[in-house]
Amino acid sequence: MASVEIRDVRKAYGATPVIHGVNIDIEDGEFVILVGPSGCGKSTLLRMIAGLENITAGQILIGDRVVNDMPPKERDIAMVFQNYALYPHMTVADNMSFSLKLRKAPQSEIDSRVKKAAGILGLEKLLDRYPRQLSGGQRQRVAMGRAIVRDPQVFLFDEPLSNLDAKLRVQMRTEIKELHQRLKTTTVYVTHDQIEAMTMADKIVVMHDGIVEQMGAPLDLYDRPNNLFVAGFIGSPAMNFIKGTITGNGVKTDGGLILPLGSAPAGSEGRRVVYGMRPEHIHLSNDSLKAEVVVVEPTGSETQVVVKVGGQELVCVFRERITAKPGEMIGIAPDLALIHLFDEATGKRL
Amino acid sequence: MTTAIKWRSVGQEAKLILIGIPVALWTLIPIYHLLLFAISKKDTAFSGNLWPSHPTLANFGTVFRQEHYFLNNFWLQFWNSVFIAAMTGALVLVIATFAAFAISRLKARGGRLVMNLALFTYFIPAAFLAVPMYRTMGLYGLLNSQWALILAMVAIASPYAIWVLKQASDKLPQELDEAAIMDGASPLQLFRLVYLPLMMPSLVAIGTYAILLAWNEYLYAFLLLSKDTSITLPVALGNFLAADDSPWELLMTTGLIYALPPAAIYYAFRKYMVSGLTAGAVKS
Repeated sequence: MASVEIRDVRKAYGATPVIHGVNIDIEDGEFVILVGPSGCGKSTLLRMIAGLENITAGQILIGDRVVNDMPPKERDIAMVFQNYALYPHMTVADNMSFSLKLRKAPQSEIDSRVKKAAGILGLEKLLDRYPRQLSGGQRQRVAMGRAIVRDPQVFLFDEPLSNLDAKLRVQMRTEIKELHQRLKTTTVYVTHDQIEAMTMADKIVVMHDGIVEQMGAPLDLYDRPNNLFVAGFIGSPAMNFIKGTITGNGVKTDGGLILPLGSAPAGSEGRRVVYGMRPEHIHLSNDSLKAEVVVVEPTGSETQVVVKVGGQELVCVFRERITAKPGEMIGIAPDLALIHLFDEATGKRL
Repeated sequence: MTTAIKWRSVGQEAKLILIGIPVALWTLIPIYHLLLFAISKKDTAFSGNLWPSHPTLANFGTVFRQEHYFLNNFWLQFWNSVFIAAMTGALVLVIATFAAFAISRLKARGGRLVMNLALFTYFIPAAFLAVPMYRTMGLYGLLNSQWALILAMVAIASPYAIWVLKQASDKLPQELDEAAIMDGASPLQLFRLVYLPLMMPSLVAIGTYAILLAWNEYLYAFLLLSKDTSITLPVALGNFLAADDSPWELLMTTGLIYALPPAAIYYAFRKYMVSGLTAGAVKS
């Protein structure tokens, strides 16, 4: 196991820069998730750690070795690919032992390592099967097994769950987290799914357009997003944003509505802001904003309601069951302690 | 509803049969004549009957025992054909596989240019190049050597083979290579342990193509080889026609024998031929 350090790493394809100086410290044994919309550079960054892409500028360290010019096989890392990338002509056992065979490891060691990895992942009965005879989840497990047998310093995962159906994805999410708790191998995991990031990571790195927008523990990012992008990206359903101007102890929206604030930041009177409230931080209240119900989506455990306030649609999530029909009026109020304010021009948190 | 579908499928079937029967006749009638001559005695070969009154296998005996002036070197010439076809197949496979691997998987620089040039070679029909090729082989002192024909065949077959194999290897997922690289494979190990096994269907199809191209070649064989002991069987068959009184029944018998190995190869590899031609058509 080892730490990974990314120091001012840049990447350009020809004259087109795609990563603009990224700094990330990954501690030994940490589970770090790179998350962001497609095209944000997260996969490119992962592939640079793997050695599948050249580094245009900056340094990547694994342990205390600079690996910039080191071929992948010398970096002592293992990677799990999105589409599994299992060798179709090899059995599960051969797939898992391929790297050890290339390293010319003794047969007894290969056997014991494959057996151990198969035990961890519940693949013992599938060792003689070919990838085409396996289900999606089993293939994903073999791909992980191929990484585990090598006992590498770092695991790299490139959107490993994107090809699985929703139910299996949740199950594999738990399995991967469990596996990490058991093996404690440093892991860098790429996904565009913020729920995966929230549920699995020790540390989330939110990337956007080739820069790191914010990094930190999942709940820190949820509680204190640094800017509009992170606020909108982390959390599901996404945070509601309303533009307005600070007046007295509230925000006057462009629609003329006054949204309550616990306390306005000092000297911010008249400032243009974006008022952010998470759907789950809005509750039913009789003496507050009057909202027209547009859509009611009950999920059983909670109810998602889209309402219209002052000409603006808001998404609310209520724990209680709602009997209101579309077109009816309900009273809602945001949780004042959990309001987020962002500068309209810069998008930065106030 | 169901009857309508039924009638439509009957109509489809009928159309296919209407096309299929003439195509089958067109293909089979020459072979039927070949067979008819091969099992007829010399004096009844041209009788015009649909089936000989006394079918005989005597012609085959004559051919196999080389009991005719034109057939003195039958087995040697048959071997020449086998040797040239096998060598052509092997060389084309080696060249095209390495080229396709380098262009498609290792992304060698200039790969696109090579691919376009490969396609460009087919703008000039091979027949136009026969005389220049003869002259070139002469300059290298290769005339009358079977290697002249092998090299000419390799030159003709390789561009197409590279093209097809490149297309087929483009369809192998790039992640497989990356997974192998991460597993610590060198380019050669990647080639041998991952690429070759997965390309096998296409390799069989292309190998068969090259072998049959060389096996069926007449023009280049006729130009580049002239000694009775070095020519291939098609050229020897052509020599039959040099006589005023050609032994048609032996010519056809030899032709029939010569047609059997390709048929056998097609039959043996038919599974690969189909999958090779449609390789990658479905997501693997």
